[in-house]
Amino acid sequence: MVPPQYYLLLSAAVFCIGLFGILTRRNALLFLMSVELMLNAANINLVAFSYVWGNVTGQTFGLFTMAIAAAEVAVGLGIILVLYRDFGDVDVTKVTTMRW
Amino acid sequence: MAGIFDFVPAIVLLPFVSFLVALAVGNRLPKGGAFAGIVATAGSFLLSVATFFTVSGGQTYNQTIYTWANGLDGAVTLTFGLLIDPLSAMMLVIVTLIATLVHVFSLGYMNDEGETGLPRYYAGLGLFTASMLGFVVADNLLMAFMFFELVGLCSYLLIGFWFREPGPPSAAKKAFLVTRFGDYFFLVGVVAVFATFGTAAFAGSESFPHLAEQALHGEHSVNTFGFEPRTWFTIVGLLVLGGVVGKSAQFPLHTWLPDAMEGPTPVSALIHAATMVAAGVYLVARMYGFYALSPTSLSIIALIGGFTALFAATMGVVKREIKQVLAYSTISQYGYMMLGLGGGGYIAATFHLMTHAFFKALLFLGAGSVIIAMHHNENMWEMGGLKDKMPVTYYTFLSGSLALAGIVPFAGFWSKDEVLYETLVHGLGGSPILLVAYAMGLLAVFFTGFYTFRMVLLTFHGEPRSQTARDPHGVHWNVKGPLVVLGILAATAGLVNMTPVAELTGLEIEFLHQWLGHGIEGLTSHHYVELLESQAGYHAAEIGPIVPGLVSLALALAGAGLAYFLYNDAEPTEHTDKLGGAKTVLYNNYYQDEYQVWLANSLVQPFSRGADKFDQGVVDGVVNGVSSVSLLSGNRVRRIQSGVVSNYAVLLTLGLTALILGFGLLGGWF
Repeated sequence: MVPPQYYLLLSAAVFCIGLFGILTRRNALLFLMSVELMLNAANINLVAFSYVWGNVTGQTFGLFTMAIAAAEVAVGLGIILVLYRDFGDVDVTKVTTMRW
Repeated sequence: MAGIFDFVPAIVLLPFVSFLVALAVGNRLPKGGAFAGIVATAGSFLLSVATFFTVSGGQTYNQTIYTWANGLDGAVTLTFGLLIDPLSAMMLVIVTLIATLVHVFSLGYMNDEGETGLPRYYAGLGLFTASMLGFVVADNLLMAFMFFELVGLCSYLLIGFWFREPGPPSAAKKAFLVTRFGDYFFLVGVVAVFATFGTAAFAGSESFPHLAEQALHGEHSVNTFGFEPRTWFTIVGLLVLGGVVGKSAQFPLHTWLPDAMEGPTPVSALIHAATMVAAGVYLVARMYGFYALSPTSLSIIALIGGFTALFAATMGVVKREIKQVLAYSTISQYGYMMLGLGGGGYIAATFHLMTHAFFKALLFLGAGSVIIAMHHNENMWEMGGLKDKMPVTYYTFLSGSLALAGIVPFAGFWSKDEVLYETLVHGLGGSPILLVAYAMGLLAVFFTGFYTFRMVLLTFHGEPRSQTARDPHGVHWNVKGPLVVLGILAATAGLVNMTPVAELTGLEIEFLHQWLGHGIEGLTSHHYVELLESQAGYHAAEIGPIVPGLVSLALALAGAGLAYFLYNDAEPTEHTDKLGGAKTVLYNNYYQDEYQVWLANSLVQPFSRGADKFDQGVVDGVVNGVSSVSLLSGNRVRRIQSGVVSNYAVLLTLGLTALILGFGLLGGWF
């Protein structure tokens, strides 16, 4: 049996990659992908602990997370399409009209 | 069973309805709504008389009508209620009678003189009467206070009736503010009564005078805020007395009353005889069971009363306007009532309240009649010789004057004499301070006789001294009728309580003593006498009423005789000029107004400025400071909302990191 630490390390690594992507990228599509990475890092955690404790609740929540992620992508892609239509670009640093 | 007491609220409500009618449709009614007022006050009068007879049959009524704030968990309950006992029944008859006559008189004084704004006038009269009647029947101090204030408001409205001229609005404001100053103390007193006793009822076993009495006997404990019970009751009594001094125009808050002469004359009659000014004295009589517990309050009441009686009478001596003389006589006569109350003469003071209501209403209405005849010239030096031109006015006015001066057998003699007698016997019976008050009251009798007959002689006797006096304007039945009714009453009202005659003949003719001796337990004159003896240490000395009565009669006759000697010429000269500087002082009312204005300008105004500075600077400064700090910080903080999503992500991440670090540090992970 693979010890849970490995799963946690994997999850942390994936989360950090996602976080890094959000902090450094300017392309909205890459933002969306990074968010997906972070969500999946959380999923890995859920499944790993479910596996360790021998309890399926965590896996059930993993499925929930995927469904929510799918819905979120649909909304996110919609926003990106509108962004492109209105500003002709998907660079998040240029779209700064919603501010003080 | 529907007894007469079920209709008592109607006594108060009828004039109120006439107020609403005059206000709403007065313009469309004949005579500007006067008839509505006459019908309403006459109806109230009839109901009051019926109530009076029911009460004389031995029935009384003390009932809560409406609870408008129900106190939970031991908090006070605030109610409206009716208290009908001999005192209030008598007062109801007086007030409604005078109000009816004043309404009738107004037909002559206002309608026939072509005044405008009559609906406003009659609405004011209606509300004034209703407020006073509500005050009379009030069964607790708070309700009394509320109607007391309404009375003050109505006086403001009516004194300032001719608001287009400069004088009346200013006089109205003065009346309102000066009485208001006294009412501040009254309000504090009401709150103190509630805080001490948890009730403000006048009558019954749960009333505050009764609880106070029990507290002094140690049978019941009340919250006296760390004072001795008697000391505390004195303080509370004096606070309430503040309102009385303001409304009843006692020194030093009497200055509003002479100025209130700016109002229409019938209003002056109503204010001085039956409503506003009487309210103060009536309040002391109403809660006499409370004042009787404190000899200090009683002495203060007696001293204020005696001093005011003398002080006002001296000012009345030099005035030129007929209404001014009457105004100072009112102050002086209310001083007598206060003297009577403070001197242990509850019945005497009530008696004087009654007789004064009749003869002072008469004198004011008579003066009103003279003013109509003189085309609204009030200066007595331009009158003269009106005796033959207007005999009805002259003889009724003379009846009122004899009553005012206290000449036997007119009403004022019996009541004023009894006031002085009661004060004297209690003073000699071991309360020497009362003798000081008595001396002042006695001296004032002389001045009263003098100024009264100076007024009569200047107005009616001698030769006419102006064109209008030679050819006066006639007056109608609506002026003469009320004068005749009141003239008869002023001559005869004193006969209900002839103490000296009762003493001489041994007859049981002191009807007022019998009248006020029965009624609700704890509110009878017998109970008050017991209280005065056991609590205030008032003991009656053994002297008959004959000699003191003769002394005051002699003084009154001396005053009247001096006036006759000086002024009964065809062309009288202004003898008061011989007083020199004293006259100037008297004519300027001892510079009371100037001194009060000086107080206001040099003490109150700087204080108010300071308070204003504190309010604008410190209180508002703190509030404005708080708002400008949040405005400024908001202005700065909003800059982090840059619109760049990456920045938000950075902030989120930093926030999360800080949170985890914080938890870690506090949770001891490191």
